[in-house]
Amino acid sequence: MTRGDKILIAIIIIVNVAALFFVKNLAFNYENKYISIQVNGEEIKKITFDSNMVGKQIPIETEYGYNLIEIGDEKVRVIEADCPDQLDVKQGYISRVGEVIVCLPNKLVIEIKGGNIETDIDGLSR
Amino acid sequence: MKNTRKLIFLSLLVAIGLGLGLVESMMPLPFVAPGAKLGLSNMVILITLVVFSPKDAFVVGILKSIVLTLVTGSVTSLFYSLSGSVLSCLAMTIVYKYFSNIFSSIGVSIFGAMTHNFVQVLVACLMMNNFRIFSYLPILQLTSIFTGYFVGLTSKYAVNNLRKSFNKFDVSH
Repeated sequence: MTRGDKILIAIIIIVNVAALFFVKNLAFNYENKYISIQVNGEEIKKITFDSNMVGKQIPIETEYGYNLIEIGDEKVRVIEADCPDQLDVKQGYISRVGEVIVCLPNKLVIEIKGGNIETDIDGLSR
Repeated sequence: MKNTRKLIFLSLLVAIGLGLGLVESMMPLPFVAPGAKLGLSNMVILITLVVFSPKDAFVVGILKSIVLTLVTGSVTSLFYSLSGSVLSCLAMTIVYKYFSNIFSSIGVSIFGAMTHNFVQVLVACLMMNNFRIFSYLPILQLTSIFTGYFVGLTSKYAVNNLRKSFNKFDVSH
């Protein structure tokens, strides 16, 4: 084991541990994260997160009721609703893939979806 | 006469590589990373490279891949195996020829293992059209340090002993 070997091993460990952290951050950062707004089980709107969408308010008026949602930096919340219990307003922001806000009286579901969680297996090699 | 002896020794090395490859494929994975292998048959290529010549190492590597495919019967693994052994052999040749004053056989072996992993991930990406597999590369490269280290260490001792016996038979270059 020469000096060169030791330096080589050290460099490989450093580079790969760094790469591992980089990959880990990347993996939890879903590229195509979007807000899916569903009324009565049907998706009526898809909103992708964007920097110029921050602070934007979107009213949703349907035959079941009225909700006003606000989009923040990679997060979303309901700020106004005409339902009696106001549970959706009290829930606050949701930001992670899979989180949902449900307003049952208005049959509204706001869900954050990621493009790559729908299938279990991406590929198989044997 | 000399050529026949060399032929016999090379085919013996191929056979040892085959045996090691088979034993390796039966072994339960000793690592946390699925898909990581010990790379025992890489040992044979490294030994051939050091004792004989790079050209012979290529021959042994290619033969080993093809015959191992015939033995295990999985044709798709031929692409992985063949591309991996040819390119890792190339990397080891370059490192052994031009940088052997910096790296010992351990370093050469680590380079071989790293190239092998890289090529396999690349082939997997191309075959599945999914470049996210590259996120798995760091884990494989970290394991390649350990496997490369032990393969290099083993072949260092093997080469010392083989040189003696090969000199007796007058076959090495």
